[in-house]
Amino acid sequence: MKITLVKKILADGSPCQKCADVLARLQSSGQMDRIDAVLVADERDPQSPGMLLAERLQVSRAPFFLVTTETGAETVYTVYFKFAREVLNTSISQSQQAAEILNDNPDLDYI
Amino acid sequence: MPFHKLVAPLLGLASSSTKSVNPMPIEPDNLLKQAFASHGRLALSFSGAEDVVLIDMACQLSDAVEVFCLDTGRLHPETYRYIDQVRNHYGIEIDLLSPDAVDLAAMVKAKGLFSFYTDGHQQCCSVRKIAPLRRHLVHYDAWITGQRRDQSPTRADVPQVQPDEAFGTPERPLTKYNPLAQWRSADVWQYIRDHGVPYNPLHDQGYQSIGCEPCTRPIGPNQHERAGRWWWEAATQRECGLHGANLLPVKAL
Ligand code: SF4
Repeated sequence: MKITLVKKILADGSPCQKCADVLARLQSSGQMDRIDAVLVADERDPQSPGMLLAERLQVSRAPFFLVTTETGAETVYTVYFKFAREVLNTSISQSQQAAEILNDNPDLDYI
Repeated sequence: MPFHKLVAPLLGLASSSTKSVNPMPIEPDNLLKQAFASHGRLALSFSGAEDVVLIDMACQLSDAVEVFCLDTGRLHPETYRYIDQVRNHYGIEIDLLSPDAVDLAAMVKAKGLFSFYTDGHQQCCSVRKIAPLRRHLVHYDAWITGQRRDQSPTRADVPQVQPDEAFGTPERPLTKYNPLAQWRSADVWQYIRDHGVPYNPLHDQGYQSIGCEPCTRPIGPNQHERAGRWWWEAATQRECGLHGANLLPVKAL
């Protein structure tokens, strides 16, 4: 199994906060070594490796994870806690899951 | 079969990961009627603001409207009084959902009471709103919100009915109704005036959108209502989308 993480650089050159959060969580939990490759999707450069991969997979959010099995089957995860649960076999706290739900559904902040 | 699947052809039903088409809007009261007829457990979300119109409509359709309100602990005193006014006016119970005490205490201990001004509002909103909402919705198979497309760029594509992929799961599907999706602010206020609906007095003080006290401010006549919420944050910080690539909506887990 190969795991690729795609992180984003915003159009103004600043790093994506959520990508930084996810990387920090992987690092603090000691699971960064489960990630085989980290690609950058630079919004200023459509040819950047992460942007090209996002286009090939038709993924419109970042960060995301691509899990490729030995048989070549590809699964994309755009929700970190699902990736953590299903691939890394770790559980994420309720409040972290809530934070990710809000991140992925910005319309909810008005609720 | 979940209701959203039954009405999908009629509504141009969209999921949260697809663009909404919604070619044939349904009048909010008709949609509420269909929602009540289709779900055994249906909850209505009330923010303490102008979405009170949904309570007004729902109370004319059902004697058993289950209303809840996210009590973040940071609402204006006027809003707390208004919630009670609505409770008494309609003779209904309103569930006030509180944040988890342990999570809240940990956040406040680590970051203080106003961390959202420096770190952004996500963590505080997650603890005070999203986590309690998620816990509550486990008990329902559908819920109703006052979300409207004109409220914010993040709501520009809100459909009238959608499968709720944020809080539902494949094992426990949840349908989300946004009956006011097509209405503009003026339509809501026309309804409030026409039907003598009680409204939050903060609206008379220039608050168009009402949320928590530290994160809400009155706006000027030509400002968009989004300018009254989290005004210190740049719009780009609130988005996870990838811009600049030729991408379709995500089909991922
Ligand atoms: S709106 Fe402000 S005070 Fe209320 S939950 Fe969100 S960040 Fe916290």
